[in-house]
Amino acid sequence: MLTNLREEACIESTRVSFADAHFPVPFRQGLEYSSPVRGTWNIVHTGMLIPESHQIFVCAQGCLRGVVLTAAEMNALDRYSSVMIREENVIDGTMESLMIEGVADVLHKLNYRPKAVLLFISCQHFFLAYDQELVFETLRERFPDIRFMECYMIPTLRKSGLTPDQKMRMQLFSLLEPKEKDHKKINLIGSNLPISITSELVKILNQNGYQLQLLNWCETFDDYMDMAESCLNLVYEPIGIPAARDLEKRLGQPYCYLPFVFDFDELEKNYRKLTDRLNIVPQSYEKEKEEAISALKSAKELIGDACIATDYTFTFRILSFTKMLLLHGFHVTELYADTFLPEEQTDFEWIREHYPEIQIISTNRPDMRILPKERDDKVLAIGQKAAYFTGTDHFVNVVESGGMFGFDGIRQIAELMKDAYLNEKPRKEIIQKKGYGCESCI
Amino acid sequence: MKKIAIYGKGGIGKSTIVSNLSVAFAKKGLKVMQIGCDPKADSTIALRHGKHLPTVLETVRRNRDFALEEVVMPGYGGVACVEAGGPIPGLGCAGRGIITALEKLKEKGAYEIYQPDIVLYDVLGDVVCGGFSMPMRSGYADRVFIVTSGENMSIYAAANIAMAIDNFKGRGYAKLGGLILNKRNVRDEHKKVQELCTEIHTSVVGELDFCEIVQEAESLKQTVLEAFPDSHMAKQYMQLAEQMLEQAE
Repeated sequence: MLTNLREEACIESTRVSFADAHFPVPFRQGLEYSSPVRGTWNIVHTGMLIPESHQIFVCAQGCLRGVVLTAAEMNALDRYSSVMIREENVIDGTMESLMIEGVADVLHKLNYRPKAVLLFISCQHFFLAYDQELVFETLRERFPDIRFMECYMIPTLRKSGLTPDQKMRMQLFSLLEPKEKDHKKINLIGSNLPISITSELVKILNQNGYQLQLLNWCETFDDYMDMAESCLNLVYEPIGIPAARDLEKRLGQPYCYLPFVFDFDELEKNYRKLTDRLNIVPQSYEKEKEEAISALKSAKELIGDACIATDYTFTFRILSFTKMLLLHGFHVTELYADTFLPEEQTDFEWIREHYPEIQIISTNRPDMRILPKERDDKVLAIGQKAAYFTGTDHFVNVVESGGMFGFDGIRQIAELMKDAYLNEKPRKEIIQKKGYGCESCI
Repeated sequence: MKKIAIYGKGGIGKSTIVSNLSVAFAKKGLKVMQIGCDPKADSTIALRHGKHLPTVLETVRRNRDFALEEVVMPGYGGVACVEAGGPIPGLGCAGRGIITALEKLKEKGAYEIYQPDIVLYDVLGDVVCGGFSMPMRSGYADRVFIVTSGENMSIYAAANIAMAIDNFKGRGYAKLGGLILNKRNVRDEHKKVQELCTEIHTSVVGELDFCEIVQEAESLKQTVLEAFPDSHMAKQYMQLAEQMLEQAE
């Protein structure tokens, strides 16, 4: 019989002030709690970005639960299949034939012909070191009209080497083959969500005759394959860098990293880096900057000194974002995160120096499961996790920065903050939906 | 680059033969790499004069970002020596250990950096699981040679190994190069080994006498080719190396 060993949560283990926090990992690593916040994307959502593709997961039945629910929830079950590994496949070493015949069976039974198959292998394949080359070569020979993408669902490697998310974003472009380069085509890769078309970045490229392409904007599989024609890959999320490096190596497409930051000077540096790279005349961003400042000022006037909580699901550069809010007078009291990116150290040190009392609160420490969630004061949360843990219905519902890049992005975020402060959102209904931005049947 | 895997029943003398072959190939002017695929990690001991060689697995456990020089060390005749190693005794999975070690060497570019003319994989005993068939795979050995004597258990193990090679014939894995008869002077030894050859459609590429010189060299922690270079056993190893090279063409 299970016994409740401790009724009170150990709050101290879940929070630390910037003054006392270690960078980049402020909390002890160990048993983790997973909150019901589901807005961030997983490998199924990301893979579905490839038009005319079908996903096949090969793993033990128990491991299929999460991915099949994701596919069902996003109304994409017609683009999802699975092949189950049984004990005899492990004992008899028939993993290769199971994969080949299983996938063939799925393809024969489908009522459409996918242009590409994203074939996911799991921990079992890794432990057994099945012959991946043989499996994919055989499938490619047997189905020459279908491209097979090697994809991985190996959570046991979550904390060593590339994370499943980084790997997925890299594999996503693995089907691209060398093509003649078009010097007026540029890709933006490594992000799940499309960039806002009003962003200065898009304008710079459009005004100089460049055609920007994103996976999100591809309507056909051929559009996706044509991304190999681009002469440059832009990447603004650090998680997309392995993909950019891989494309540089395989296709000879150089890449330019323009960090998705919220620091005004850093943004201008980004644009200078881009214009230098493309050898085009830099322009002034004063108007966009003023609009961003004005929107932030207006938001500050409305929100005043109300408590603001931010979280890492809102943006990969949460410290840059939080610093920007602090610089514009907002009263940030807490930040929900478990680790930080190495490149955030400068922002971390700045907050530590100027606002050492701000609390960093874990989202995955086991004691977070029973912390009181309702608060008396009005809190504006920026990000779904901050909303969940502070129990506020006033929150900005955005994941992965929502593509709101640059000064224009900051302006948009300020508007969203105002809206969130004035209007409540159905928190429970929103945060339980997987992959915010994807279709959901819930 | 030629890649050869030597299989055979445990205790049949594989490591002794492989180490002598490494020296024989080196004497022919070839750059040799010997990779011990046995958790005991004693394949290259005669080449290293008994000196410890950190195994790939123990090094990986200590530091995932290890440098190749930590696990690839020169032995007698300039042979590049590597030991895959194994899990902590009684724990883990030896087969998975071999897989990890070979994958790590490949990932670190061992073959490109050391550019050996010939790679010899000395693989533990029978093909007891998928891990021990790893050296047979595409990208690893091109040829497999099986060491056997006329003893029944040794012949049984050799037949099993041949069966594994046959099972993989459609996959483009390593081909069977032949048997190496390491004599134990048992009754009807030649006849029994010839019967095995007929059964598994192969031939004996070389014979090695049962000779105390081999044990003497071992007690000196040297190969026969180093300790007794003018002995008849040294000649047999040189001849065997020649025949294997021909087979591996």
